[in-house]
Amino acid sequence: MMRLVSSVGLVFILAIGGGAASVHVALDRLAGFDGLTVGPWIAFPNRGTPGADPYSKARFSRNAELPLGKAEGLAFLAAADSAGEPLRRACSYRIEGRLPAARFWTLYPSDAQARPLPAQKLRWPGLHSMQVLRRADNSFEIVASPAPHPGNWLSTGGAGTMNLVLTLYDAPALGNPDAAEVELPLIYRTGCE
Amino acid sequence: MTRAFHILVLGVVGAAIVHIAILMLLPVLSERDAWARLASQGDLRQPVRLEPSVEGSPVPLADPFFLGGGCRFDLHQHGVLHVTAGAGAPFWSVSVYDRRGYNLYSFNDRTAAGGRLDLAVATSAQLTELRRELPDALARSIFVEVDNPQGIVVVRAFRPDPTFEPVVERFLGSIACEAV
Repeated sequence: MMRLVSSVGLVFILAIGGGAASVHVALDRLAGFDGLTVGPWIAFPNRGTPGADPYSKARFSRNAELPLGKAEGLAFLAAADSAGEPLRRACSYRIEGRLPAARFWTLYPSDAQARPLPAQKLRWPGLHSMQVLRRADNSFEIVASPAPHPGNWLSTGGAGTMNLVLTLYDAPALGNPDAAEVELPLIYRTGCE
Repeated sequence: MTRAFHILVLGVVGAAIVHIAILMLLPVLSERDAWARLASQGDLRQPVRLEPSVEGSPVPLADPFFLGGGCRFDLHQHGVLHVTAGAGAPFWSVSVYDRRGYNLYSFNDRTAAGGRLDLAVATSAQLTELRRELPDALARSIFVEVDNPQGIVVVRAFRPDPTFEPVVERFLGSIACEAV
C-alpha cells in the first residue's frame, strides 16, 4: 500500500514538475518556430498575430509584449556574429552591408531579456538610420564597441553576452518576407578587450 | 526495476500533458498580460504612457528610440471608440490589439489622411449601425472592425534624439480615446 502511494506520488511530482520546468525552459530559451533567418539575424513576422505558434503566444502573454504590427515594422535580432560566435559586450564588431528598403531603422544592443542595454553617460542607447554615414553605394559600416570609434559608433559595454536588435520601420517589402530576398548586414568580430 | 521504469514512463507522459496544458492555458489565464498591466495604470479609454524602460512602463516598448501611449477599450461598455491625436511626431504608428495582445491591425502616418491619427474601432454590429448614419466626427476616420469587444490601442512615436522630446511629448499628450 505504502509503495503504491509513494509510486503515484512520484509520478505526479515527475509529471507536474517536469511539465512546468520544461515550459519555463522552452519559453526562456527557444526562440520560436516560424522565424525568418537571414545570416545571423532572425525575425518573427508572425509573432503577436493570431497565427503565431503556441510558444510565441504563451511567451508574449507572460511577458506582456505588444509586438509591432506589419505596417509598423519588423525587428531582427542577432545573438551571434556571422561566424556563429555569441556576441560579447567586451568585444568590438563591424556591422557592414545593406538593408532592405524602409523609411528608417534603429539598431541597439539588448540583454538576454530583450531589454535595451543601459545607455552609457551622454550616449544615446543606439543608432538610427538618420545618424548613420553611408558610402557612395548606400552601404554602411557601423562599429559596435565599448571604446569610442570614428565613423558610425554603436556604444556597448559591460560584461557578458548581448544581442543586437535591428528594427526596420515602415518596410513594405517585409510585409511578406522571403529569406532569399532580404539582405541584411554581416557582423564581424574585430577584437576583444 | 519494472516499477521504476513504469514510474518513469508515466512521469514523462504526464510531464508532456502538463507541458501542453500549461502552454495552452498560459495566454488565457495570465494575470500579467498587457491588458492586466494597463488596467492597473488606467481605466478604460484612459491613455497610459508607455516607455522603453521596464521599470517606468506598464508594458515595455522594445525600441529605446520610441515613446508611446495606449488605452484599453471595451466596445460593449462604451460604444464605438474614436482615437485621435495631433500631428508633429516625425513618425508614428498605431496598432489595434485584442484582449490577448494579438496584433489585429496596424498602420502608420503615411496611411493616414494628412498625417493625423483618426481611428475608429467598432464591432461589426456597431459598424452596420454607423453606416446607416455616419456621425460628423467620424467622417475622416479609418475604421477597424474587431470581433472581440475588448482590446488595446497602442500609438508609438519615433524620437530620433532628445531635441524631439517636446514635439513627441505634445503628440503623445494629445492622444484621446473617446466614445462616440
